[in-house]
Amino acid sequence: MNKKKLLIALAGNANVGKSVIFNYLTGLHQHIGNWPGKTVERAEGTLHFKGYTIDIIDLPGIYSLSTYSLEELVSRKYIAVERPDVVINVVDASVLERNLFFTLQLMELETPMVIALNQMDIAKSKGIKIDTKKLEQLLGIPVMPTIAVKGVGIAKLLEKAIEIVEKKPAKKHPQVTYGEEVEEKIGKLMEKMKNVHFVYPPRYVAIKLLEGDEEIEREIQRINPQIISAAKKLAVEIENIHGHGCSTVITSERYEAAGCIARAAQKLVSPIKPTRGERLHNFTTHKVTGYLTLIVAMLLIFYSIFTFGDYTSGLLSDVLYGLEPLFAGAFGTGIVGALIWGGVMEGLIAGITIVLPYIIPFYLILYFLENSGYLSRIAFLMDNIMHKMGLHGKAFIPIMLGFGCNVPACLGCRIMETQRERLLAAFVVTLVPCAATTVIILGLVGNFLGIHWALALYLVDFLIIFALGRLAFKVVPGEPTALIMEMHDYRWPHMKTILKETWFRVAEFIKIAFPLIIVGSFVLKLAEVAGWLEPIAAVLSPVTVVWLGLPAITGITLIFGVLRKELSLVMLAALLGTSNFAQVPGFGPVQMVVFTLVAMLYIPCIATIAALVKDFGWKKALFITVFEIAFAILVGGIAFRLLTLVA
Amino acid sequence: MEKRNSKRREAPLTTLKAGESGIVTYIRFGHMRGRRRRHRHIMQGHEREWGFEKRLMDMGFTPGTRVTVVKSAPFHGPFEILVRGSRLALGRGMAERIFVEIEQE
Repeated sequence: MNKKKLLIALAGNANVGKSVIFNYLTGLHQHIGNWPGKTVERAEGTLHFKGYTIDIIDLPGIYSLSTYSLEELVSRKYIAVERPDVVINVVDASVLERNLFFTLQLMELETPMVIALNQMDIAKSKGIKIDTKKLEQLLGIPVMPTIAVKGVGIAKLLEKAIEIVEKKPAKKHPQVTYGEEVEEKIGKLMEKMKNVHFVYPPRYVAIKLLEGDEEIEREIQRINPQIISAAKKLAVEIENIHGHGCSTVITSERYEAAGCIARAAQKLVSPIKPTRGERLHNFTTHKVTGYLTLIVAMLLIFYSIFTFGDYTSGLLSDVLYGLEPLFAGAFGTGIVGALIWGGVMEGLIAGITIVLPYIIPFYLILYFLENSGYLSRIAFLMDNIMHKMGLHGKAFIPIMLGFGCNVPACLGCRIMETQRERLLAAFVVTLVPCAATTVIILGLVGNFLGIHWALALYLVDFLIIFALGRLAFKVVPGEPTALIMEMHDYRWPHMKTILKETWFRVAEFIKIAFPLIIVGSFVLKLAEVAGWLEPIAAVLSPVTVVWLGLPAITGITLIFGVLRKELSLVMLAALLGTSNFAQVPGFGPVQMVVFTLVAMLYIPCIATIAALVKDFGWKKALFITVFEIAFAILVGGIAFRLLTLVA
Repeated sequence: MEKRNSKRREAPLTTLKAGESGIVTYIRFGHMRGRRRRHRHIMQGHEREWGFEKRLMDMGFTPGTRVTVVKSAPFHGPFEILVRGSRLALGRGMAERIFVEIEQE
């Protein structure tokens, strides 16, 4: 039987429970990727319901449909070009006015839609009572109350969405009516565009032209430049009447309309008194208790991840290395055996012992913090510090991630609004000492020179991050964006959503990192078997021996570090034949510090480079890589000379 | 719009103390530093000033809107602001450009 296909899009503000609804609807039949050529996430899923095969797409959480961010542009184009059969607009009942502002814009796109009035429970606890019938009537769109985290109302929502498709409502839903002058200008523009066929509805195009929307202007410019000049003239007329820019006037009136509807549909039933969430918010953003909470939370998170990671990683490593005799039995101990075990399997083990023990817990905690709302409070508290680097508060989140692993941290830079900020944040992230770098710092300097030296190295690294961050901020062209972020109410996160988000992130990590780690490890093993390591060390010796004052052998180990940073230390132990570095001649305290400093800065590991390529393209990834190698060598050489002078 | 009476004054949002409210009058923008002006031709559309003002509007800071400063983070940190029933964190640079009419008792 030929199944009927449907396409449903989920749209709405950030943090309104969209992804929870998405997860409810699609279960594990999900695919998460990027929009073609964009660093914007694209989540799709399929579901079978009432004889339909329904494709569901979860559009990014946005506040408007202008072109401020890539997310907004992508969402708008998707709805206009792909024309989903129905759009489910997820609305946060506890912040109705702001959410309706977005709803009104969706309506202007003239797409069939249904509203999921979500978080009814939170609204209730805040003393907000919403008359859904009234809201439905005011908007002219079906409104379905839901509590997504408990699964309440989701089935009915889906039924309603299908009903809309089947019935195909004859009349278009009503739209915002702007002030008389504005409406008159919209009418004039629409008259001019009568013969223009465009993906967006004519009224929408007219409004956007008056608002000065650059993307639409570009498109219309190609079709008929006269329309643009007419729009500009009309916009000036409006400006003269109101004394504000035309875009301001339109946005203002749209917000007024949203406010009117919200006020008419909602009632504040109980006097506003601080809820538990409110008290928690005040505590966690307070100038004293807020920072204390933050420090304690960070320490707790890192301590538990590293303790858990260290233990599990050791355990896994023991188990997996236990397989070695098996492989030796199957492939022998000759060249083939060495390549298969030392190349492929050890690469795989390296990957596994990072992913399971470190990455998974990191993501779980991250998504817990994000969904509960604490992450936005962290961004609030850290904004001024991030500003010193030309970034804003949100950048603290990928940087924090970077301490665990740079790969997810680079991918996490997608939370920044503009491509420029994403790149700046990613650059800073690649300098953050990840878990593997920490192994070197603690294992070498911390172990043999004392913890104060290790801490000093961290401090140096932070200063370098700071300085380079500022430098990059000055050099990369573009406007800085300041922090502007909603701090939604605290809530208990939906565990299934967290688990799924973690799972998709981990899968993404495996896809990016594993092939490279395995191939890289195979190539290095090949070089070792072929006896190329010595010549390579000799070629590198002007840098390693002369400039950095390190033993020639470190040239090889630093190459291994590209695969995974702590391999540079592991390999050093293997090649020196001892892990008691203090007894190695020619590898004194100065060399230890220089080696660690270089290992810390010299290159993002291969998986991080892959993540950079994925989000920023080859050129930028290559530039960052080459820059950091040169920079590490420079800093290492200077440190060598300074330290020798002191010692 | 009627003339402001003498009891009201217009000032950047940053001058409000914790707990104070004001009505947005306008957003000042266009003060680009020379360095950035040079790069203007290569800037992406969404990174321009237009985007900045639009963003604030989209988040609800339209003229006539009542905003309340809850607090600001220490060391010249961002502001916590209530606007249109939601709670926003707003960087100081942005808050400085929003002018409000302060209601005085």
